[in-house]
Amino acid sequence: MTESFPVLLAVMAGAAFLCRMAGFTLMRVVPVSARVEAALRATPLAVMAAITALAMQSGGLAEGLALASVVGLTLLLRNDVAAALLGVVVVAGLRWAGL
Amino acid sequence: MTRALFTLNGFRRGARDGVPLAVSIFAYGLGFGLVAAQAGFGVGKAVATSAAIYSGSAQLAAVNLLQTGEATVWALFATILVINARYLLFGAALQPWLWSAGPLRAYGSLLLLGDANWLMTMRAIRAGEEDRAYLAGTGAPIAVGWLSGTALGAAAVSVLPAPQALGFDLMLPCFAAGMMTAMVKAKADLLPVLVGAGVALGIFHLFGPGPAIIGAGLAGAAAAAALHREAP
Repeated sequence: MTESFPVLLAVMAGAAFLCRMAGFTLMRVVPVSARVEAALRATPLAVMAAITALAMQSGGLAEGLALASVVGLTLLLRNDVAAALLGVVVVAGLRWAGL
Repeated sequence: MTRALFTLNGFRRGARDGVPLAVSIFAYGLGFGLVAAQAGFGVGKAVATSAAIYSGSAQLAAVNLLQTGEATVWALFATILVINARYLLFGAALQPWLWSAGPLRAYGSLLLLGDANWLMTMRAIRAGEEDRAYLAGTGAPIAVGWLSGTALGAAAVSVLPAPQALGFDLMLPCFAAGMMTAMVKAKADLLPVLVGAGVALGIFHLFGPGPAIIGAGLAGAAAAAALHREAP
């Protein structure tokens, strides 16, 4: 490695910047039909499901129970933020209990 | 073109919603700061890294690569591109809503884009949020948490218990699970959920977690587009 840290940092920042801006910029030339809109609306749901599924798969019983309780609590309380925070309390409690 | 709403009120609303996530991002920042300090970064270098790259997973990978002593400019560039490729999808999904705020405000807001506030903003858009300043608002407390966490962690101020003991490492998945549940309003919404979860697990086993998120997002979008029926 011969480059100095500021040079390496600038290169890394450039890559991160490119990812942040490129998808947005490319979409400016894509006409947003009803079909494209349906796809864009589905994207966050698919990403959220992916994050949840991956956390369940890499976690143990405590993580699985906590995430399942978030889903249940969201339906019960009709408040997803409160349910998510309670899910964090659940996993902390279960880990403290040694699960 | 009439500009969309972009007000201080919207910014405040976003900032308020972003605070719970900022707490967990602060804990992640502490973690990155500690890792950076162990790799020989001082506080200044660690904070500069967090500000310039502004992506936890990409920074951890970069520090690991730098530690090997064999990191080339191209290897670092490619690593960040691959890990942050999901941002291409995030930006694309935001475009129709955000662009109407005008280029300066739109691109400025994207600088504060992260996983957590993208999810939060997409949920707000679905619920009818019209104020485009909401995105930057959610990003503001998260940015403060990320940078202050990095600084404290790098200064080796580890007075707090480990993030895992408080369950903070599960904060993002918990928010994802809750928002996903709240956003499923019709039977058709279950399609991207099932496709996303299934594809993520499949790709994870083959290629690891980075491609799993991107693949799930693309597959969910493709499935929704394929099954879309024009209203008669």
